Formats: sequence, C-alpha cells, structure tokens
Amino acid sequence: MAEVTVYSTKTCPWCVKAKEFLKQNKIKFEDKDVSADDKARNEMIKKTGQMGVPVIDINGEIIIGFDVERIKEALKL
Amino acid sequence: MAENMYDLVIIGGGVAGLGAAVYAGRFQIKTAVIAENLGGTILLTNDIANYPGFRQITGMDLADKLKEHVKDYNVEIIEKKATKIEKCKEGCFKVFTGEKHYHTKTIIFATGTEWRKLNVPGEKEFTGKGVHYCALCDGAFYQNKIIGVVGGSDSAAKEALLLTEYGKKVYIIYRKEKIRAEPINLERLNKNKKIEIINNTNVTEIKGDKFVKSVVLDKAYKGSKELKLDALFIDIGHIPLSSLAKDIGVKLNDKSEIIIGREAKTNVKGIFAAGDVVDTKFKQAITGVAEGVTAAYSTYHYISENEIICGCGDK
Repeated sequence: MAEVTVYSTKTCPWCVKAKEFLKQNKIKFEDKDVSADDKARNEMIKKTGQMGVPVIDINGEIIIGFDVERIKEALKL
Repeated sequence: MAENMYDLVIIGGGVAGLGAAVYAGRFQIKTAVIAENLGGTILLTNDIANYPGFRQITGMDLADKLKEHVKDYNVEIIEKKATKIEKCKEGCFKVFTGEKHYHTKTIIFATGTEWRKLNVPGEKEFTGKGVHYCALCDGAFYQNKIIGVVGGSDSAAKEALLLTEYGKKVYIIYRKEKIRAEPINLERLNKNKKIEIINNTNVTEIKGDKFVKSVVLDKAYKGSKELKLDALFIDIGHIPLSSLAKDIGVKLNDKSEIIIGREAKTNVKGIFAAGDVVDTKFKQAITGVAEGVTAAYSTYHYISENEIICGCGDK
C-alpha cells in the first residue's frame, strides 16, 4: 500500500481538492498542516526547496501542486 | 453520427461555464463541459460578499454549489484540458482533449484567464520560493514575515488584506498613484495598520538566495531602492485564455479578449463566449454567470432555428 503524506494549509483550495481526490479514491494519507506545524513546514521545505502547497509525497515521489495525472500515475490508479 | 456527438461543448468549468451548463441542462440540449479545473479561479477567492443572495460565501463553497446544481441535469463533465479545436466544413467542430475528441454543433468558450506575470529577473527563479500568485494558497507560510503585494486592483487589495492575517507588515507596491479597489476595500486598506502603500513605483528585480530576501524598486522608498521582504505576491491582472478561440477565427480585441455581443455571440457562427475571457469591462462572478446563462440561451436558439448536419468525416 502506498505511503502518502499531504502537506497543506487549511485555506488552500487546491489542498482541499487534492485531499478530496485521495478520499474519493480511498487512499489513506497523513495530513500535515504546514501553517500550524513548524516541523512539518521545515520537512516540506527540505523535501521540495519551495513553499507552495499542496505537496504530496507518494512513496517518496514528490508532487508539487494538485497534479491529477501525476498523482494517478504514482498511485497506479 | 459519431458516438460522442454533442449539441454544445462548454470549454471551461469556472462559474461562467457552470452557469451555462445549468441552463443548457434545463434546455435539454446534449451538453458536455470540458474543464481542466472544475470550479475555476473563484476557488482562489476566500471571501465573496458581492454575489447577491449570498451574504458571505467562500469561492470553494460557491463553486461546489454550482457543481451540485449542474449535477441535477443531464450534463456530462469531462475533467480534461481542451487542447485543440477544428472547424469542419459543415459548420461543426471537433474539440480535442489530447488524443480523444468530441464533435459538437456549438461551443461556449468560458476559458477564463491566467495570472499575468511581472516579467522581471528573479520572478521565475523564485516562484514558490517567495514569489507567489495566490495569497489564499500560500499566504500561511509567512506568519510574522514581511510581505509585498504588487498591483493596485481590487483583487490586489483583497490579497493584501488577507495577507495581513499572516504577515507582520504588508507593502502594496503599485505603479500608479491611486489603488483602484472597491470603496469598501479601500476603506479597509486605509484602516489596516499593517499595510503600507508604495505608489508610483515598479518592482524591477527580485533577489534572494534559496528564498526571496528583497526586491529592487525603480524609485527609492525611504531612502533605498532595495526593499527587504520575505515574500512577494503578484496580482497585476490576468491574461485571457483565448488562443483556442483565436485559432478557429474568433475575433479578439487588443487585450486578447473574445469580442461578444449582448447575446454572447462571437463573430463565428455556432461559437459563443462568456466570463472573464470576454470583452466586458466589469468582470465579476455574478456577471460571468449571467453571460454563461445568456450564451446557453443563444446556443439553444441557434440549435433550434438551424438545421445543423454534422459530418466531420469520422465516426
């Protein structure tokens, strides 16, 4: 099973969409709020070198933004 | 008849496209909405207080309500990007989404806009690293930081106001004298102690190491041309996404907006347009929806009054 982490903020619309997409496809994921959790924010910046959300980590593959095609590919949907 | 033959294809899934889809559904014409981003740019607006009937609603909620409304009708939603359009001799069109294509008698362009870039050194390099285009998306990264907003429109004012919830200081850098915000937002700007307006000034360069550290101004501000900040949000307007329409002969104005009449018709028979991509001056969610609805009505009449035999030469 894929290990999925979503780095997001509460207000970011594409984060909401990305999480909805994962839920619809019954993918379990860990949701890290980078606006409230400094550790998660630093972890995300370290992984991506940037500060745009959402960032989706699928088994170590980093996808910046709600890129449905890449998410589908990484999850083999 | 080709299997995927439609009376109407709506390109774009923002409020204008969805408004058109509701009415097309009610008129019972065979309709598909082809949209890469269902919901469109309204998703990026936090607080909508000027859509009559809703005292306060988020863009996301408004888009969800419209999507749900479209689902009440027999309208197909294809979440793909329209990549190409061909006009067939017989007055029909083929709309491509990559390799797949859809035949249709009419099209409504509700393709909206994309962010205008500042086009200065550092912008591309620091995108996502201090340079951003959506406060609602990325503003939360800059808690207690110094933030700049470039632009002087109502939208820029709203972005700046939202950013004061995060940053300790928000500069609005505007090339002209007076911010063009709605009076209600202008009042909010003036009352907000975190906001400082730098007018008659352009940003000429964005500097930093891994992340943005400062911007260079074309005019000294408080004795320096370099302004230290941690993030720059760019809100200098939008560019209409009208190239697909242009390719099939639709007339654009000098801003690349699609020229429409009161009935949302373009110069090409069977082609209609609505929303931010068209040449109306006041671009609001409510006016975009209204144009979408008018376009659906005009489409319905066009289809009812003209016998269109579609034969694009393939099944």
